[in-house]
This record gives sequence, C-alpha cells and structure tokens, in this order.
Amino acid sequence: MQVSSPISQQVSYLEYQGKYKGLLGWITSTDHKRIALLYMFSMMVLFIVGALLGLGMKLELIAPGKTVMEAQTYNAFFTVHGVIMIFMIVIPGLPAVFGNFLLPIMIGAKDVAFPKLNLISWYVYILGAILVISSVLFGDGTPDTGWTFYAPYSFKTGTNMLPAIFGAFVLGFSSVLTGLNFIVTIHRLRAPGMTWSKLPLFPWTLYGTGWIQLLATPIVGITLILVALERIFGIGVFDPALGGDPILYQHLFWIYSHPAVYIMILPAMGAISEIIPTFSQKHIFGYKAIVVSTLAIAFVGYFVWGHHMFTAGMSNTSQYAFSILTFLVAIPSAIKVFNWVSTMYKGSINVQTPFYWAVSFIFVFMIGGLSGLVLGALTANVYLHDTAFVVAHFHFIVFGGTGYAFFAALHYWFPKMFGRMYDPKWANTGWVLFFIGFLALYGPMFYLGMMGMPRRYYDYLEQFHSANILSTLGSWVMVFGLVVIFVNLFRSARNGAPAPVNPWNGKTWEWTVPSPPPVENFDRIPEYKEKEGPYEY
Amino acid sequence: MQKLRIKMTRFTSLGPGIFFTLIFLSQFFDARSQSNVIDDQTKNPEIGIVEHLDEFLPKDIYLIGEDSQKVVLTDLINKPTVLNFVYYRCPGICSPLMEGLADVMNKSDLRPDIDYQVLTISFDPTETLDLAIRKKANYLNLVDKKEEIARGWKFFVSDSASIAQATNAVGFKYKRTGNDFLHAASVMLISPDGKITRYLNGVYFLPFEFKMAVVEAGKGTSGPTINKILQYCYTYDPKGQTYVLNVTKLAGTMILFFAGTLFLFLIIKRRRKTI
Repeated sequence: MQVSSPISQQVSYLEYQGKYKGLLGWITSTDHKRIALLYMFSMMVLFIVGALLGLGMKLELIAPGKTVMEAQTYNAFFTVHGVIMIFMIVIPGLPAVFGNFLLPIMIGAKDVAFPKLNLISWYVYILGAILVISSVLFGDGTPDTGWTFYAPYSFKTGTNMLPAIFGAFVLGFSSVLTGLNFIVTIHRLRAPGMTWSKLPLFPWTLYGTGWIQLLATPIVGITLILVALERIFGIGVFDPALGGDPILYQHLFWIYSHPAVYIMILPAMGAISEIIPTFSQKHIFGYKAIVVSTLAIAFVGYFVWGHHMFTAGMSNTSQYAFSILTFLVAIPSAIKVFNWVSTMYKGSINVQTPFYWAVSFIFVFMIGGLSGLVLGALTANVYLHDTAFVVAHFHFIVFGGTGYAFFAALHYWFPKMFGRMYDPKWANTGWVLFFIGFLALYGPMFYLGMMGMPRRYYDYLEQFHSANILSTLGSWVMVFGLVVIFVNLFRSARNGAPAPVNPWNGKTWEWTVPSPPPVENFDRIPEYKEKEGPYEY
Repeated sequence: MQKLRIKMTRFTSLGPGIFFTLIFLSQFFDARSQSNVIDDQTKNPEIGIVEHLDEFLPKDIYLIGEDSQKVVLTDLINKPTVLNFVYYRCPGICSPLMEGLADVMNKSDLRPDIDYQVLTISFDPTETLDLAIRKKANYLNLVDKKEEIARGWKFFVSDSASIAQATNAVGFKYKRTGNDFLHAASVMLISPDGKITRYLNGVYFLPFEFKMAVVEAGKGTSGPTINKILQYCYTYDPKGQTYVLNVTKLAGTMILFFAGTLFLFLIIKRRRKTI
C-alpha cells in the first residue's frame, strides 16, 4: 500500500517530552497512543487482581466443603471477580486499548476527534475502578450479589453495595464517552479517499461498538441509579414489598448487558479480521459480508436480552420470540467464522504467534457460540440455567473470545506499539500453556453443568469432585501461561530487537508509520489510493 | 418439472416460517385460554368489579333521562364518557363516590359536556326520576362550575332488564340485602365508540388520573397535542390503579432521540477539511 508521505522524522510517542516529564507527562497527555497505554496498564493491574480472585475460587473448588474460604468470602470473590472482569476489562478492553491506539492511524488521522475527552474518559474509568475497589476495602463487607446486582438482593444485602454500584455507573460513562469519540472520529476524520467501503474492518467493528456503547450504556446507568435510590430512600421501583417489580430490574439490566457482550466481542472480531488476512497474505474473504454481519450483530444484539430470563417469569410468547432471535444472532457470527476460514484457504499462511491466537480464538469462540445456542433453546435452558454450564459458556465467549482476541491483538500490534519484537519462542510457549490450561479449566464446567452442578456455590457434591480437580489444575496451567506471556512481553518491550515498520507485511495504514509511531502519526494526512480496499495483496 | 421444482423450493423455504408461526399462535392461544380459566376461578366475585376492558357496551340498554325521555345508552355516547352506577337513596359509599366525582369535575381543566360527559345510572329499578333530579341538584351545590357541570353530568333511572344488561356488560357486581344493596365504588371510562377503556376504582379521583383516563378514552378523537404527549408518557399501572410516569419508555425515547440526532448530524453536516 502506498502512502503519500515519506517515513516521518518526528520523535516517537514513547520518547516525546511534553510539558511534563515522567508519569505526569503520561497522565496529562492527550495523545491517543499514550491514553491507550494508560488504559492497558491500568487494565493489566486490574486483570491481575481479577485473575487472582478467579484462581482463589478455583482453589476453593478443588475439594467439596470448605477448603480455603468461607461461603460468604466465596460470594464476595465471584462478585468482585465478575465486576472487575466485565466492567473494567472486557467491556472497555479492545476499544480502549487497541481502538485508541490504532483507530486514528488506521483511518489516517492524527488523533481521535476529541483528544481531551479521550483523556477524561480514562480518568472517569479510573474513578469508577477506585469506587469499586473501595467497596472491597471499606464499609461493612464486600459486595456479594454477583456482578449482575440482581434486585431485590442488591438493595437488601447488608454488604457495601453502593460504591460498587456507583463504580459500575461511572465506568459506564467512560464507555459512553469513548464510544462517542470513536463514532465522531470515524465519521469526521477519515483520510481523503478512505470511503466507508475501504474502511479497515477493525475500525468498522469499533464503529458498531460505539453505537452500542452510546445507546445501551445509559440504560444500565439509569438502572443502577434506581437500585442506589432504592437502597437509600426505598422508593419501590424494584422492591416487591413496596409495589416494585424485581423482574423489571432484570429486564433493564440485560437490555444493556446483553448488547455489552457484543461490545466485548465485536472489536475482538475486528482484530481477528485484521490478523487473519495479514498472516494468510490474502485479501479478506467477503469484506462486505463481514461489515454487514458486524452491523447485524450490533442491531439484533439489542433484541435478545430476554434469553437471560427464560426461567425468571416470562410469557410463552416472549420466550419464543427471544429464543428465535437468539438463534438468529448466531447467523452473522457464523458468517464471520466462515469468512475467516475462507480467507485462510489457499492463502500463504505465515504461522506466527498472533496467528496461533487468532486460530485458537475461532476454535474457542465456536465452542462458546454453539453452547450459547444450547442455552438459547428453551427446554435446554430450563435444565442448564444457573449451572456451571452457563459459566463455561460465557467464559468461552468472554474470555475465550475477547481474551484470546486481546492477546492476538497484543502480539500482532506489540511491535508497532513498543517498537520492539518479542521472543516468538516464549510467546508460543505462553500460548500453548494458556490454551491447554484454558480448555482444562473451563471444559469440565460444561460437563459439571450438564450433570447438575449449580454455579455460585463454594461447595458441591462428591460426584463432581474429579472434574473440579481437573478444572482447578487447568487454572494453574493457564495462569502459568499468562505469567510466561507477560514476562516475555515485558522483557521484550525493554530489550527486544528493534521492530521494523512492517514486520508481518500487513496492509493497513498502521504498518506504514514507524514503530513506534511518531507523536502525530503522519507528517501530513495521507491520501487513500487503493482501489480494492485495505487488504490488497 | 422445472416449475414444480420452483414451487417445491418456495414451499420448503416457506415451511419453517409457517411452522414457527403455527407454534407461536398455538402457544399464544393456549396461554390465553389457560389464563381465562384462572380468571374465571378467581375473578368472579359476588360483589365488586370484574373488569371488561376493551369490550363494547350492548346497543339495547334503555335509560330514562332527566327530561323523562327514553334513550339508548350507546346513542348518548358521542364523546369520552364516564359511567357510574349508584342508587340514589344509598346510605353507604354512593354519596362519597358522587362527591368525589363532583370534586374532580370541579377541579379538572377538562370541560364537561365538551371534552367529556358523566352518566350516572341508578341500578335500583324502583327509583324514580324525581329522586334523581333532586340528587343532581344536591350534588351541584358542591361545585363552582354549576352550569357547565349540570350540562355534562346526566342522571338516569332505568328498568330492571336494562340495568341487568348494563351492569353485566361493565362487570359491576352487586347484591340486594333487604332494602339496600352491597356494591363497589367505581367509575368506567367509555370511548366515543362505546368501548370500555378504563376503570377507576374508589371514591376519590385525582384530577390528573381523571384527565388521563378521559384522554385515553378519547383516543383517536382529536385533542390538544399535550394530551397525546401525556398519553405517551404515562401508562396505567393496574396494580397501583393509577397512572404512572413511564420512566423507562421516556428514557429510551430520549436516548434514541439523541443518538438519532447525532447520527443525522454526522451524516448531513459536511466534513470540515482537515490539515
């Protein structure tokens, strides 16, 4: 791909010295790339906390009865684990880190449309995170409702719910601001010649995600505020004792939280759609089909929330409607999988770490998606609802989908972000360990759920013991894999070999600017001249 | 052969659609019939109100009005109509109910006889028109807007057949005990085409819910725009038996409105040239 500007002579964003030095220079910078890294490092810290909590839960479940913690502690663990992982990592994850870093470069802009707002979003994110963490550290007991804050328990429990609820509310604001920023950026700042049909797929998914963030997040904001008001003033919106309706809470919560699954997964799919053509050295198969299915997922994803509530009290008609819509939303996802696989067909495949992650993404995402259809079927749902099967399903989607795509994206764009190559041997070792650990950790949960083991209990019947041991062992292997991955990346960011401009022979614009990119990305705004779109090999 | 194949293909592609529609409908009606059985068992009291929402009033209910003329009830209903059943010599809740009606008519900014009318019917067939007229004069003493309310609030008596038909049609259940009756206090809102649109139970009515019920009954007829907005923003809560602000609907509309505005702005307004 040709870019009209020569290689930039500007100083890289990592070395740039602005008004302030050191940490202050970072936390006051409105450079989208620095903000992306701010997000990345804050998420990494939170991820370590969330992962340790998950590890603790699995350790408790290594044997029936009390092993290392009390029931109440276990409740607190799964609540805080869920809140951190969902609200602070997988929802903002890919858009905030890779979206921020790459969107402007991929569309030929110097920054996002509202750089200051972008920085404010990060501060709002940090504020939300602090509020949630404070609910753990202060007050009368750690929240124990699960990440869904279901009414009426969420306003009846004596634990310290308010900071957690406000925290989730504040985090929602960060999400809305980022979504708004991206939508405007994509509409307004595309370089000349970059029409909608030539927009790379990752920005396309960020666009779809932006609208979901903008439309759906306010609903959960309002809902959480209502729960808070219910707790403080007893206004009776959700409390049946006061004439309220707890089912209404579930509706409102899932009207946001189901589309939120697509906030997580769409950018993940976008990243995979960038990686597969690069490592197949072939034009993406069915560009338009992928774009349309992205928008279709974003749209249909709004109408399936009821499938979380099949057993909560709902008319037969609603159940049928939600079930059929749930099956429908699988179609665009399947189209994407078909397109990725077809892209690889007869491609010149270059097997590197990002490609391993991308292919394993497809594998685990398929398992997650297909088990979602099992849960979307009404009769199966009655049996499997609230069992370990559900936990396995959403970890395959959320962690298997978004998590794998995050690591795929991290290994793909790492040379661009830090200007260093990582050690592929250790990176691959990390991936193998993670993959084996992941399957061993979450795979048995499908079995356990089908055998009837409920979720969210610190205890279980003896008959579930062996599968739980396998699951716990899997958690250790997976975490060991994570340690290998992180250590390798940290070491490489400092000491790795300098990365060339385009180590993978990618075709999108981020591979035309130096690694790491200069402060303003381009000396002057490039002009898009490719006729066949962004993946012409 | 080719044509047959095309037909077969068409049929097979329609097949699943028809199949799902049939399942849908069968379940829908199944659910409805089940709920009706439950209704019959639990909601058929001897005294009280069995709501017959969305049903039409029969066309052969005859009443005798203040001018001694015999009229058909549905002929009188040409605007949103508040219907209520009392007996004029009632020592119990009829008087508070009638006072409540007088009070809300007096307070409401809706104009009696223009925006709506109130028809009060005695369900005691032995009562005379004379008593009805005296009672009306009595209740008019409670209000300020005497002339308007006199025009818009009409009192009737009727024969036992029409009374039975009318009270059955609206689900007003009562029982004679000696000289008196055991009965509930409620008013029904009837749309201009004779459909029962709402029940307001109790003896005291808030001007707001009274207005909402009248506006709702007048659906389809022209009214001030503000009434349509009110109707959109408020829904009837059957448990609380009042109109409530529909927060979720409003919030959803506002979110969609702002998102739509943003989208249109981004699409329509031309891009600024960037350097």
